[in-house]
Amino acid sequence: MSTAMNFSSKTFTPRPPDKGAFPLDHLGECSAFKEQFMECLRHSGYESAACRQRAMAYLECRMDRQLMANEPLEKLGFKDLINEKSEEKPEK
Amino acid sequence: VVPGETALAFYKAKNPTDKPIIGISTYNVIPFEAGQYFNKIQCFCFEEQRLNPQEEVDMPVFFYIDPDFVEDPKMAKVDLITLSYTFFEAKEGQKLPLPGYQ
Repeated sequence: MSTAMNFSSKTFTPRPPDKGAFPLDHLGECSAFKEQFMECLRHSGYESAACRQRAMAYLECRMDRQLMANEPLEKLGFKDLINEKSEEKPEK
Repeated sequence: VVPGETALAFYKAKNPTDKPIIGISTYNVIPFEAGQYFNKIQCFCFEEQRLNPQEEVDMPVFFYIDPDFVEDPKMAKVDLITLSYTFFEAKEGQKLPLPGYQ
């Protein structure tokens, strides 16, 4: 690794992802969700915050199909969206 | 992307050959100093991934930018962070130089 002369700041080391790797979606099971998300991004001028609902739907798709470890959505940063969802639809 | 908010990004990879390839990827963040604020929750990287002949797959990355980013005066002028991945063909016994990751 290159040496950093400043001791006060953190040095950059490639880090593995917190929750591990996504298996590949070979069968394209969640491609439709991905397409919806990408379309939302295009319409919103690539503003990530505007498309979080669709991002959440994509991750839910993965979890339903064993393409991602099940994790409560609140822990993935979607807490505010979950509260909205449960207000709108009492049953899923 | 708002620091502290989780975000999703997609890359696409294609194997243009007619035999399966096992690949492994590593990443890079530009500007270099922004890398410390880049937190990956989940991605396709660091593990071997198999791509079948002619297969094209979407590769997602789920991440967030550490909210401390906004406190760092060195980052004040940074409004664009670029994340890039390089896919290598995995060779037997080859280890990517990833200190601290086994």
